Amino acid sequence: MGNIIYTCPFVPAEWIAAHGLHPGRFLPEAKGSNNSITHLEGVCSYVRAFVNDAMASQEAIAVIVTTACDQMRRAYEILIRKCDLPVFLLNVPATWQHKGAQRLYLDELKRLGDFLVKLGGTSPSNDTLTGIMTGYDKTRTSLLNAREHLTSRQFSEAIAAFNRGDKKTISTDPANGKVLFTGIPLAIVGGPLFRGDLDLFDTIERSGGQIMLDASVTGELGMCRRFDPDKLRSDPLKELADAYLCGIPDASRRPNTGLYSWLENKLAERKIRGIIFRRCIWCDIWHAELCRLKQWTSLPVLDMDVNGQEAVSPRMMQRMLAFLEMLQ
Amino acid sequence: MNDQPMQITLSQWDERYQQFQKMGLQEPYYGGRLSRHVEDGDRRLLKLKFDNSAAALRLWNFLLTEEQRLHQARAEGKKIIGTMKDLGTIPVMAYSLDNLIAFYPDGAWWIPCVMELGANLLQTADTLGIDESFCPVRAMLGAFVTEAHFPLPDQLICSVGATCDDFSAIAQRLNSLGFSIFWWEIPHRRRPETGERSAKLPGGFYAPVSQIEHVTSELQRIRPVLEELAGQQLNEEKLSTGIKKANQVRRYLDELRQIVFTAELCPLGSLEMLIAEMLAIHFCSDQDEAIVVLKGLVDEVKSRVKAGKGILCSDAVRIFWINPVADLKVMNLLEECGGRICGTEYLFTHALDPIPEDLPPYVALAAMALADPMVGSSADRADRIFADIKRFGSEAVLISRIPGASHCALEGEVIAEVIRARLEIPILEIEVPPVADSICPTLCTRIEALIEIVKERRVK
Repeated sequence: MGNIIYTCPFVPAEWIAAHGLHPGRFLPEAKGSNNSITHLEGVCSYVRAFVNDAMASQEAIAVIVTTACDQMRRAYEILIRKCDLPVFLLNVPATWQHKGAQRLYLDELKRLGDFLVKLGGTSPSNDTLTGIMTGYDKTRTSLLNAREHLTSRQFSEAIAAFNRGDKKTISTDPANGKVLFTGIPLAIVGGPLFRGDLDLFDTIERSGGQIMLDASVTGELGMCRRFDPDKLRSDPLKELADAYLCGIPDASRRPNTGLYSWLENKLAERKIRGIIFRRCIWCDIWHAELCRLKQWTSLPVLDMDVNGQEAVSPRMMQRMLAFLEMLQ
Repeated sequence: MNDQPMQITLSQWDERYQQFQKMGLQEPYYGGRLSRHVEDGDRRLLKLKFDNSAAALRLWNFLLTEEQRLHQARAEGKKIIGTMKDLGTIPVMAYSLDNLIAFYPDGAWWIPCVMELGANLLQTADTLGIDESFCPVRAMLGAFVTEAHFPLPDQLICSVGATCDDFSAIAQRLNSLGFSIFWWEIPHRRRPETGERSAKLPGGFYAPVSQIEHVTSELQRIRPVLEELAGQQLNEEKLSTGIKKANQVRRYLDELRQIVFTAELCPLGSLEMLIAEMLAIHFCSDQDEAIVVLKGLVDEVKSRVKAGKGILCSDAVRIFWINPVADLKVMNLLEECGGRICGTEYLFTHALDPIPEDLPPYVALAAMALADPMVGSSADRADRIFADIKRFGSEAVLISRIPGASHCALEGEVIAEVIRARLEIPILEIEVPPVADSICPTLCTRIEALIEIVKERRVK
């Protein structure tokens, strides 16, 4: 089955799977070997890493990029010039609260469908799409339910595996039903993580903390809402579009009040005591939220800016250890 | 009085102003000595060189009195729209209603330059978490918080979607501080798929009809917001009249650009041309007066060309300039290095092209909005630049990066590649901060190198 690679949470895996293709939402490597973007200053390290990994991919048959981030939108132009794979740019509206934006996104999904058919996919019937969506919904729910029985790294790895369509990870082995919680409950909030960033979760646990909320774009924050069974039956594609466009409270939404409502609930529910705010240097969307978050929450916030050269620098590690010590 | 066109300093302008007065210069309500604006804190004027014509005097005074005009409008009971990012679309709607004024708070990005950082707007933005890694448009945030540079608008309307992340993030930060914003969407302009219904946009790009319909529906969503503020209907007839008037501004600008960029001797400096082009986006808060100011400039350059007079040497190198500069002084610098501007792309070419008058007005305006060079690809942008290079006979391209701007990190490579594939022309990238004094020697060296290369090519 052809692998379609992407990183943006607004690309519905269900839609790709319903076309008979493999949705592969992946975490790029921080240190890419193939420097496809010659100009480095001002370029977000995540964008650079994504372009490098997409171009080096041996398994992918196509790449999907979205407009949710301006630098990714512009990276599309680099990819269509330098990458041999077909590349699709999906228009994701920044607004979400009105029918025009929802219609635009729905039309874009249909256009994506045409692209997938050209790659060898099959246009799905409503029944096929409903079946796929129901399956994904169940897996997503069981994954979220398993969270308490997994270490924070295991949970984030399980989300990453789910995103890249690795079926084995869904049957997580939740520590014999035991609740695994020992450290200071922390949240990681911010943009998408690199593959190597998952080591950070172990380091935090070894230092007395525990990531109880992965509110990164590649974590729980980037998962769509549950599907409404009635709407799913009547118009599955419309329900899919709505669950993604209106159900992912990303910082890029305008307005992005949904992000703070979501955080308010989750931070209270998980009894979080500190926030690690993780952002790539030159990511304006998340960077602009840092000061606002600090003003909004009474919890201590640690700014963790990464440059993509290494998952966590020694300087950042020291800052994090000091942060945990303060919270002991 | 010496009538030879030239660039003069602010103090020379004061002397000249006295001479103009003795000769009975008729001035508009905002007229006066240029140097009086320094007393308001506009200290950068002391370092600039200005065109010495009465038309240029009027242009500068018009620009530098906008804040007073906005306060005056409010005092007269007019409602003020702060329109953000779309650069040229919403003001056409607002000025179609007789008791609305629209302006771009985005324009605050020049305040740190004009006031030589004296207004502390960038520091204010810093305190709100918007530091120097963002585009200088972050000064807008400081201007809102300090309330010292424009009256707070009655309504903010901000376009998002295919915009730079800096601006979108800063607008969201503004919103989080309690400033209510009406968000509307301009999607990334994509090339039509095979067999998909498409239409040609002003400026020559093509877009799918479905995207034009989407933007039209977005403008229809904005319509009641403006109507409620104005207490008037913005029907198609009124908007058509507004479009015709906006096109008057655009026609004058087109004529001005054609004359100045193609004249053998440069009849008007790049600084005045930059400001003249800016009038297109929101008419500097007085549409009628913007037309008069532009007509004055067109008359001036026509008479100079006819008389064979110019402000620069005849061998000045013809440069195509991409992106506006955060420091106005750099426009003077280019001329001091031996260059002249022959072609520009200051991010708002869609505000310069005529809006179609043969389409339903909301559709015409939507088509114009979608022609925004920033909502499409950099390759599209390069196509337009290439066409304008041919039109104006530019000999080199200068890409002026805006510090921190999300689009500048990646667009230069694509634009340069597309142009180089079609044209053997030198291309140089520079980066210009809001006050560039400390890097002027470096900028000079780079620009002079470009000028030298072009002159060598002429000989060969």
